[in-house]
Amino acid sequence: MSFSIALQSELLKTRRTASFWLSIAGAALIPLIFSLVYVFNAKEVAPGMEIRAWEQHFLRGWQSLSAFLLPMYIILICALIPQIEFKNNTWKQVFASPQSTAQIYFSKLLTVHLMILLCYLLFTLLMLASGAIADLSSSKFRFFENPIPWKSMLALNLRTYLSVLGIASLQYWLSLRFKNFVAPVGIGLALLIASLIAFGFKWKYIDALPYAHPMLTLESIMKRQTFTLATHEWWAIGFFVLFTLAGFFDLLWRKEKG
Amino acid sequence: MSATIIQTSNLSHIFSKGVKTLDNINLQVPQGSIYGFLGPNGAGKTTTLRLILGLLKVQSGNIQIFGEDFAPNRISILKRIGSLIEQPSLYGHLTAKENLEVYRRLYGASPSRIQEVLQLVDLHNTGSKKAKQFSLGMKQRLSIAVALLHHPPLLILDEPTNGLDPNGIIEMRELVKRLNREAGVTVLVSSHILAEVEKMATHVGIIHKGSLLFQGSLQDLQSAKNKSGGLQIKTANNSAAAQLLQSFKPQQQNGSLILPFQTDEAIAHINKLLVQSGVDVYLLQPQSADLEQSFLQITAQ
Repeated sequence: MSFSIALQSELLKTRRTASFWLSIAGAALIPLIFSLVYVFNAKEVAPGMEIRAWEQHFLRGWQSLSAFLLPMYIILICALIPQIEFKNNTWKQVFASPQSTAQIYFSKLLTVHLMILLCYLLFTLLMLASGAIADLSSSKFRFFENPIPWKSMLALNLRTYLSVLGIASLQYWLSLRFKNFVAPVGIGLALLIASLIAFGFKWKYIDALPYAHPMLTLESIMKRQTFTLATHEWWAIGFFVLFTLAGFFDLLWRKEKG
Repeated sequence: MSATIIQTSNLSHIFSKGVKTLDNINLQVPQGSIYGFLGPNGAGKTTTLRLILGLLKVQSGNIQIFGEDFAPNRISILKRIGSLIEQPSLYGHLTAKENLEVYRRLYGASPSRIQEVLQLVDLHNTGSKKAKQFSLGMKQRLSIAVALLHHPPLLILDEPTNGLDPNGIIEMRELVKRLNREAGVTVLVSSHILAEVEKMATHVGIIHKGSLLFQGSLQDLQSAKNKSGGLQIKTANNSAAAQLLQSFKPQQQNGSLILPFQTDEAIAHINKLLVQSGVDVYLLQPQSADLEQSFLQITAQ
């Protein structure tokens, strides 16, 4: 039995769930607000956006997203996918089906990340749409005269994705551990707030705090939008490997499943 | 003697509190049987079934299914088992069809199988209705449909009639019997209601406080229970009767005589003996404690 079958089964389970709608709503919120601001407040917003309109537009978008909304979305999506099994009392049926523990763990993990990628993709598309709406609604905007900076957009997406890997892997582990939805979300929220405070105080070990990584990436891409990874992004990759393996062995060695 | 599908050897289990939940369980489920796994709530039925399905790690003892050791062959064995453990496990936000689709691929069943099992459990008309809107009986039937997707030769059902109305109970029983009769499916079904097991099982295992108190065919259980019964006699003169029946080792009890279990011929002979000796017989009654009583008796020990 191949991994892709397990993945198909997992994706089917997300149909009509909160995790799916959260990914869409999370992606749509900022572009929607931006569109409203552009349409109803063109006079005040448009000046200053004539040159490098898309770059400014996207940076502002990620600025609004990175500090709090994005980590919060990651915390929620990591909790919601395992919650499908907890809520329906279906873990036992999953573990009594002919799948290896690795298949169960990694197909679910991949489902979480496909949701995150869906959210990123949708965010980018809706941000593009929001720029187009601005240009169509008012002649003061110059979006269409500026080239779309595909390369720096890709760098932005890639690096912000890397910046959430540490959080995503730790939250996924926590969410598989706790039956109660409140536990992983509460722990995640507390760690996020603590990390934001540490970021505010410019703590010298800030690179080692996964929940500060999105902020650090934002800070870094404000300076340069290249593919070169910052130190904390390497940390994020390291945490991802560490927490993903820890979560896997924790599940594998569990004496009581389902 | 037919092959044994499930065999556990000296299966014991202790949960963290130090209470021995299972003590040396030697379960033997013969091929083609409907094995009623009987015991009061908390006796260790679910723990045993969870061990058999690999949901609990075996602490001591050994499990063989289809003649293979379970742990090293887990996946290949699970492919041949359909299971329903405790309450139905269904995705409430999905329809009946979608719930089946989730498991169909995992078991490698063909797409046409979904309609077949839906018809089998009479849920083919539920359309876009979500599983959470189903009645408990429908949920239970859908869970059975999931368990049947891949034509498993072995079904493990934990209290499948729990919470069902009388009609649902009959339907479930008929379904289990039909699968056993027509498809030769071996069924291990647990229950805490003896009458339930009596109506469907061919073999019975009685578990109480973690120990297997009885195991054998339904007939074995019936004769065991007969032997535990006795013959109650009331006469106009009990002491004279006791004298006459001395060879049967009678015991006086609340104004009647109790004799150990007797065959029909012996009962007729006893009656004749009493009447011919001039002792008026008021009552002559075999106390064939029904299964319910013997179950209570066994579990009261």
